[in-house]
Amino acid sequence: MATVSIDGESLVVEIEGLDKLWALKSRLVIPLTNVRGATADPGVAHEPKGIRAPGAYIPNVITAGTFHLDGEKVFWDVHDARKAVVIALADEKYARLVVEVDDPRATVELVERAVRR
Amino acid sequence: MGRPKGFDEQEVTRAAVALFAGRAYDGLSVDDLVTGLGVHRNSLYKTFGSKRGLYLTALRWYLANEVEPLLARAAASDQPRSVLLEAGETLDLLLLAAAEQAPLDAEVGALIRTTLSRLDAVLGSSPANELLGERLRARLRTDDR
Repeated sequence: MATVSIDGESLVVEIEGLDKLWALKSRLVIPLTNVRGATADPGVAHEPKGIRAPGAYIPNVITAGTFHLDGEKVFWDVHDARKAVVIALADEKYARLVVEVDDPRATVELVERAVRR
Repeated sequence: MGRPKGFDEQEVTRAAVALFAGRAYDGLSVDDLVTGLGVHRNSLYKTFGSKRGLYLTALRWYLANEVEPLLARAAASDQPRSVLLEAGETLDLLLLAAAEQAPLDAEVGALIRTTLSRLDAVLGSSPANELLGERLRARLRTDDR
């Protein structure tokens, strides 16, 4: 589970509780200019994730950490696929963040409003 | 950033217009978009950034390439209302966007408001309202179920 917020010109993703251990990260700070959008996407968890390095993966229980797929790095922190939000990035180490949040709709709205199109 | 192979952005945008015109924005999941557009999920994210990004791109394309030429044709005709009614389905995404996303999304709202002003300029605002209502009801008659 993660909490997504806006702090000035940055997107802040705080990893909650024990997920810090599995994801090996406690927070990510991304400049808003590098955030391309957010989407509530329960189906993302059913796709191949790639090679886990490092992190934890137990199907339907936890997907957390950095995954390498098709030359991209994707950060995951998801238990419940139904609450997964995909945050697409540009010019960052990660191509995408896939995080579980409490309220996907609200998180998507928060991020999309902060993104300039 | 290079374009993924075999991914024609224009074609995907046009296909997205058809999908969003047929079903509400909220009613289309990313799974639906992936299946309906025949593209990889990650390609969608790389190209459009988000579902909303895809929607805005599709909406802008549609308004510029389908609605604007239609309005221009109507304005040049001596039967503008008929021209617009005959175009039928072409107005549907405009109707759906106005009803669903425009009230919730400031950017969509601005795009729709501009287009409706254009429609008002072509027909007059009361006839424009009538036309939109007529198209809304005409949509029902195409469904026999």
